[in-house]
Amino acid sequence: MEGLLYEILMALALGLFGAVLFSAIGLVSGTDETTTLAPLTMLVVMLGAPPAGILTFFLAGAVAKHMTHAVPTALLGIPGDTMATALIGDANYLRRLGVPHVALRKMITGGAMAALIAVPLSVLFAVLLAPFGDVIKQFAPWVFLCAAFAIAYFSAGRWASVLALLPFVLVIVALQTLTAQYDVKLAVSYFLGIAVAPLIASLFSLLAPVEREKMRRDGFRVFSLAPDMKGWKGYFPNPFRVINKRQRRMTAMAASVTSATFVFSPVAMTVIMGEVIGARIKQAYERLTTVITARNGVTESTYIAEALIPLIAFGLPLSPVAAGPAAPLFNAPPRFTVDSATGEVNNLHNLLNYWEFFGYGMLAVVVAILIAYPFSMSFAHRAASFVFRKISHEAVISTFIGLALVVGIWEGGLLGVLVVVTIGLLGGFLGRFLGFNIGVQFMGYYTAVLSVPAMLALLR
Amino acid sequence: MTQELARPATTPAEVTRDTNNLYEVWGDTVDSRHLVLAILVSSVVSLGTYALALWILAGILDSAQMAKAYAMLFGILGCLAGGTISALLFKPKRDVIEHAADPAFREQVVNDLLKEYGSLGRLEETSPEVIAELRDLGLYELFRDAELREQTAPSAADAGVDASLQPSGGRS
Repeated sequence: MEGLLYEILMALALGLFGAVLFSAIGLVSGTDETTTLAPLTMLVVMLGAPPAGILTFFLAGAVAKHMTHAVPTALLGIPGDTMATALIGDANYLRRLGVPHVALRKMITGGAMAALIAVPLSVLFAVLLAPFGDVIKQFAPWVFLCAAFAIAYFSAGRWASVLALLPFVLVIVALQTLTAQYDVKLAVSYFLGIAVAPLIASLFSLLAPVEREKMRRDGFRVFSLAPDMKGWKGYFPNPFRVINKRQRRMTAMAASVTSATFVFSPVAMTVIMGEVIGARIKQAYERLTTVITARNGVTESTYIAEALIPLIAFGLPLSPVAAGPAAPLFNAPPRFTVDSATGEVNNLHNLLNYWEFFGYGMLAVVVAILIAYPFSMSFAHRAASFVFRKISHEAVISTFIGLALVVGIWEGGLLGVLVVVTIGLLGGFLGRFLGFNIGVQFMGYYTAVLSVPAMLALLR
Repeated sequence: MTQELARPATTPAEVTRDTNNLYEVWGDTVDSRHLVLAILVSSVVSLGTYALALWILAGILDSAQMAKAYAMLFGILGCLAGGTISALLFKPKRDVIEHAADPAFREQVVNDLLKEYGSLGRLEETSPEVIAELRDLGLYELFRDAELREQTAPSAADAGVDASLQPSGGRS
């Protein structure tokens, strides 16, 4: 019994830590989920946190970030992160109408509601899918290959992305062969390289004279920050006052649907659900506010479902989120491993049962809501103002460069850093010019480590 | 989306502002010289913290693997420290304007909405809750007037053009 109490307390503490940390990170615009969630979750795994604590840290972090990302999105009109790009159009309309605080409150409330719905549904869907787990594990390398091609085809690059997978995978296999000669086996460095790829590509562009001229600006960038408006008393605003009945119904529906569609890109689902809901509502203001509520709900539900369903049902990272930001829950060698040849897994899938996934999942969501909901409701304006007036973009970039260096050196010394730069440069340019996006790049990595060995074994 | 608001940018003091080295990198404006220095500071601080932590912890802890894992934690704290130093040294290249939407501007937004959606719909079709919310925000008349304009205009597309030609037309 004492062991269980310790587990729960550790899970609570790590969930709380994740929620506070990612509430703050969510405020800084441009901090991609993968860049921030993946390395920090990896760190928590490496430091030996108990399985339940790893889950609560990740989930509370993701839920909190997708609530506070509404702050820059609503108040400054710039996306808080990748998921928030799907919300920027609606948010900008409301901001320009002079009611950004409405956008903000509705987004956050939609997010909180969807997160509470998504956990039980994800566990339920996972339980339903689990019987197929053994079959999928058996054919894991081939499932990944098909998934990689499918995700590539549905990316912005279409056939260009499908074909670009071949050289991309080849480069990863070549780099692995090279580092193996020096007894270095890298995993996190590839993830980090893919995650910071757009940054690395822009920094290289800045060094090339022709590209540099294109990036030149003649003045400071102007942001208009909406004035502060607080429409409730006390610290914890009542969510049922913030969104009306129809918005609650639409958000619940969108969250339920997207809890099942775990194999698709979360950004795409956010866009599609918004269109589906928007088409049913005629009055423009109601349409705007309902769509933005439901869309931010979907940013939560897709993230939770895409991380939890593959983890609970298969233990294999078979979704864009599982392959990206949630990757350390599946694969964090030496502690968590996915065996390429057999599809044998040793990760949270084996360490927690259905009830534990449900219980700790709910705990994480509740903790994140208790932290991020009142925080972003009450301090949104002050926080956004602080970030924009005090934290320069130079500081944000240099922090990420520091992160890439420390993680690269930590995992593989100089070779690790070189791999981060190589993958970052390649991925960044493929993404920029072909629409070979981060999701496809992660699937490329999995193809290289899971499918390629299986193909070679067949040829032999 | 924020470019159209760039007009009032001349208000802040621009006496000592050097705009010769401004570039847009990764979605925001930076001064290239500051960027190089910030990256140097952050690299030295983060890697320095990591190396120092690894050296000290390797002496204290028995397991080399644990020492390395904790050293990485310190390395990440070093990244944050480097970022904080950079933030203190180099100020943001942004002008932040506190800004309330003016009525003429709001009508433009409603026109944009009309163009995107094809129709603004009817206020009668919404629930009393939505109407109350619109009244609270002072947006009810804006949408009601726009709706009336849309109904009198021959088609949605024409209404958009018409209203943009006369920005304050139809408003009583």
